[in-house]
Amino acid sequence: MVDERIYEMCREIGRDLYTADMVSSHGGNISIRLGDRIIIKRRGAMLGNLKPHDLIETGLEKNDSGVALASTELIVHRQIYKQTPALAICHCHPRTAIALSLSREEIVPIDNEGSYLLKKVPIIWEEFASGTPEMANKLANALQNYKIVMLRGHGSFATGQTLDEAFFWSSTLEEGCQIILAAKAINEPFLEYRKMSDSYTKW
Amino acid sequence: MNGWAGKVLDIDLTNGAIQSYPLDMEMARQYLGGRGLGTRLLWDLVGPEVEPLSPENGLIFACGPLTATGYQTSNRFSVSTKSPLTGTVLDANSGGFWGMQFKKAGWDALIVRGRAEKPVWIEIKMDQVVMHDASHLWGKRVRETTALLGQNNNRRNVLCIGPAGENLVRMSAIMNDGERSLARGGPGAVMGSKNLKAIVVEGKLRPEILDEERFKFLLYESRKLLRASPLTSQALPEFGTSVVMNLVNAVGSLPTRNFQQSQFEGAEAISGEALTENYLVKNASCWACPIGCTRITKTEKVEGEGPEFETTWAFGAACGIDDLAAIIEANAISNDLGIDTISAGSTIACAMELSEKGYLDSDLRFGRADLLAPALEDIGYRRGLGEELAEGSLRFASRYGHPELSMSVKGLEMPAYDPRGMQGQGLLYATSNRGACHMRGNMLGLEVLGLPKLIDRFQVQGKSSFVILHQNAMAAIDSLVICKFTNMGVAEEYFARTLTSVTGLQFSTGDLIRIGERVWNLERLYNLREGFSKADDTLPPRLLEEPVAEGPSKGWVSRLEPMLKEYYRARGWDEHGIPRPAKLADLGLVNLMESV
Repeated sequence: MVDERIYEMCREIGRDLYTADMVSSHGGNISIRLGDRIIIKRRGAMLGNLKPHDLIETGLEKNDSGVALASTELIVHRQIYKQTPALAICHCHPRTAIALSLSREEIVPIDNEGSYLLKKVPIIWEEFASGTPEMANKLANALQNYKIVMLRGHGSFATGQTLDEAFFWSSTLEEGCQIILAAKAINEPFLEYRKMSDSYTKW
Repeated sequence: MNGWAGKVLDIDLTNGAIQSYPLDMEMARQYLGGRGLGTRLLWDLVGPEVEPLSPENGLIFACGPLTATGYQTSNRFSVSTKSPLTGTVLDANSGGFWGMQFKKAGWDALIVRGRAEKPVWIEIKMDQVVMHDASHLWGKRVRETTALLGQNNNRRNVLCIGPAGENLVRMSAIMNDGERSLARGGPGAVMGSKNLKAIVVEGKLRPEILDEERFKFLLYESRKLLRASPLTSQALPEFGTSVVMNLVNAVGSLPTRNFQQSQFEGAEAISGEALTENYLVKNASCWACPIGCTRITKTEKVEGEGPEFETTWAFGAACGIDDLAAIIEANAISNDLGIDTISAGSTIACAMELSEKGYLDSDLRFGRADLLAPALEDIGYRRGLGEELAEGSLRFASRYGHPELSMSVKGLEMPAYDPRGMQGQGLLYATSNRGACHMRGNMLGLEVLGLPKLIDRFQVQGKSSFVILHQNAMAAIDSLVICKFTNMGVAEEYFARTLTSVTGLQFSTGDLIRIGERVWNLERLYNLREGFSKADDTLPPRLLEEPVAEGPSKGWVSRLEPMLKEYYRARGWDEHGIPRPAKLADLGLVNLMESV
């Protein structure tokens, strides 16, 4: 049984992701690592309205009956935990970031917060963009060097010590992408205000 | 050679032999430097048959690949040895200038072994290494010794012991640059047992950096983060480390009167705010540090560095004392004698409780600020009751039939956080390889300050994950070696990228944490080889059985057992706390297990 304190934390972050328009009604997923166990959202559950039974506990390495109920992205979450120091993962569908991912190789925020916190967000892709071992490996590799990574046309995977932190990277990315879009719409010359900003692309 | 100097200095005091040899670069990649490299070298040098205060014990001073590069706080170094206080593997690290200077002299590590026939001091000027007679220095206090040997902050730096180290006080520190300390676990006594009074260094090299442009960018970005964080840009510079006194007290986790309570009514009077308002002369910095948390303070009797938060707590709340001037003076005496203030304050607090309960015939009582200074002098010179206090709280309390009143783990006194109000901290203390220590993965950030984000301090399920991550991360930071306060604003990701820019070797954040995990497991193997076991991964009975009576942590005890079970499993250890072969193979340590 998942600790009441952990349930409460997951419920709040799930609700916030939904109300921030970061996921559709049943989209996205979150998980946390508890030692050699994972607590992950139930397959098909609504992030914006999580019940205690929507949190599934299963092994990081070993399968048990929990896998029958877990999110379809379980394989990705497991691989990320195995290859990185992450203790929490937030996967969501930030709309502007997804739109930009369709035409770019990487997202380099131009706003202060995005530059300051993220520097650069790589975009990766695979033929089958959900729940495959190939995608899991690619994502986990990228997340060894970046705290958030975009999956082209699909969404973002962010890691942190807490869900709160992973959510923070996700919303910072989406905000940065909205600003890129707005600046593009304004279509005026960009006045660089950041020192050494050309180094961001090499991050 | 990028980052590392590539050389190890090895001095045998018994026969005066001085050798140098190349740093094993594969070992450097696996353990980096500082604590990691020191522990690995100690593994080969000091086996379970060696008594900590015998000539066979080693003292290994080590800096890391970032030391002296100019990266923020790249001034630190560590000493590794077998602890005379606990018998465990020990490393302690310190800031100031000495570490930077040692690296600039062209060395990554210094191994000192054996015992000199008469007191000596060592002078290292680049490749020139000379041993001098120290008869005229023996018996002198730290400040005088440091001055006599020509301390000059950016050019010539002195590391020495005071009377406490000479008198083999088990809580004695090695002091550098006058008032910085390698304090915990009694390394000063090991140095004293070798008849080694001081080590003086002068250097002029700057470590080579492979990608200067990238290094500068990372330094710039890191500085930006430190400037943006109110903790590192305002709180620490303005109030010093004691800025957390009121915060820890507010959540009911400030151990008071030998952990009998978890809130101190006098906290405000000994807080960072009070220190700044009443006693601060100015703040100061270690080399290449943009934070500047060092306090230069002055009372009617003393002027000098400190006290830090832990010191203020140990001589303050732990002893029921709210006289900040007396605490500042106790700190100054400790620094001059070369004594670990946490262990000293805790041991005095233990004696106060023993006295109040009638188990010990002494004047020591909670709140008796006037007895702090004499008690410390007695400890430093092993006089009167000080002879017994100098052995540390566990031996002391055991002598009087009440070991349960020693607030220690594995014999090392606990620092300033009550595990009943911070569940993760209890697990951290219980599992810390050098005994109870807050610097091995402090949960203060997560459980109180919200760094990087606040977690529930009473949560038990899943707490082991946080503790393990932070233990591994701190082991890595201790191996770089940089100051943990930078980590309050700058994440490990930046350290990994900086390490790559300096050395040219690829390190991801995960690689860095994994190095920390390797160091942690090696330390665990060392302790297992010494005979430590699961039974030592525990807390004093008070914290497990006596609920907090009042305040925000009321009703709580440390729920260690379920956390420990989860911790072993998550570490890849068996139910007895022994690393499983698969974990050791994964970390490249499996061949070492055979000797455990």
